[in-house]
Amino acid sequence: MGLQISIRKSGDVTIVDLRGRSTIDDGESESLSNQLQKLVANGVRKLLLNLADLAKVDSSGVAIIVRTFVSLKREGGDLKLLSPSGLVLEVLTVFRLISTIPTFKNEAEALASFQPRGYTARP
Amino acid sequence: MTTHCSDGAAPTTEKTALVVESGRDIDELLTSVLASEGWRIQRVVDNQHLLALAGAKPFDLIVTGRKTHLAEDVELLRKIRSARPHVRLIILTDKFTPGDVIAAMREGAFSYFSAPFDAFELAEMVRAAMAEPCWDDGIEVLSGTPEWISLTARCDLATADRLVQFLHGVRDPSIPEAEKDQVILAFREILINAMEHGGHFDTSQHVEISFIRARRAIACRVKDPGKGFSLEELRHAAAGNSPGDLFSHATVRDEQGMRPGGFGILLAKKLVDELIYNEKGNEVVLVKYLDPPKTPMI
Repeated sequence: MGLQISIRKSGDVTIVDLRGRSTIDDGESESLSNQLQKLVANGVRKLLLNLADLAKVDSSGVAIIVRTFVSLKREGGDLKLLSPSGLVLEVLTVFRLISTIPTFKNEAEALASFQPRGYTARP
Repeated sequence: MTTHCSDGAAPTTEKTALVVESGRDIDELLTSVLASEGWRIQRVVDNQHLLALAGAKPFDLIVTGRKTHLAEDVELLRKIRSARPHVRLIILTDKFTPGDVIAAMREGAFSYFSAPFDAFELAEMVRAAMAEPCWDDGIEVLSGTPEWISLTARCDLATADRLVQFLHGVRDPSIPEAEKDQVILAFREILINAMEHGGHFDTSQHVEISFIRARRAIACRVKDPGKGFSLEELRHAAAGNSPGDLFSHATVRDEQGMRPGGFGILLAKKLVDELIYNEKGNEVVLVKYLDPPKTPMI
């Protein structure tokens, strides 16, 4: 009950909405880790972690974000973060993850950032 | 360790909570959490009615009302526990002093919340109280003044969470909330490390803890029952990586089949001003310095 995870798609981007806390208690972080690893194993390469409703994160939650970021990089994919705030933002800032992992305040901008900047053909 | 926690209620019967009214928001929150697990709720208007009912029959959980002073709730707890020593009681209050919080821990409150209430944390704690099979010996206060508290905590996550909630409940106006949150987060990381690596989450093992409130600093000491470790040889933790390297230890953890982690010591180090280990590596002190008071002291 401590962490609710819901998964949705927007084009080729998979959005994982987190609500509650990602801490070592009651296996919340373990459950998140399993879900994210499953997504990567199933071929997801563009992943947006929505932290807007995540109230709390501890070192176990940080470890999962780092692990997912590394796994996706290894596979040529991308992890991005959306709207961390309060204590979650503070913890991510402490580890300088905000400057390492692209982080957005707005979902539309985050989604657009996954798309390659192609050339538009002139009429 | 086996401890008998029943106060007379048969484990197979419907669970019942006795709740003092606290106002619509809190009452609705408690109802939704308790009812979702099929618990029956009996409501009373004040502590006097609560005491009369709790003396007449056993309840699986008691939640006090926010309007009474914490000192009164502690006295109520003392009376109930003299007849029903294993009662799980969560205290909600708007009025308290730091000394009352120590008394609540000493008297064996399951948990304690001071206003303003964090609805999410309260719901989680009620769930923990509903699920916890046995908790009586989890936290033992050895000595306590508002400046120095010494206690032991059983090596399990539920006890760590209960202790951390007691700390959140201490609202000392001279400690800025943001700095208090940083100290508690750092302390929680070190406490869980101590319970996991020193105590192996063995519920027969305990961690020794002291909190010291000096005029311009807060300090916590945590001693685990383990053999200790050397920070220099800690290859599975980010604290042992080169400066700026967040990832090397993760490979070691993968190779050793460990869960993702290893950021606890580093996080604690960054949140407090000093993190000092003893030679053996089974005892650590955290220190957070506070800004001097703005008004000159006379």
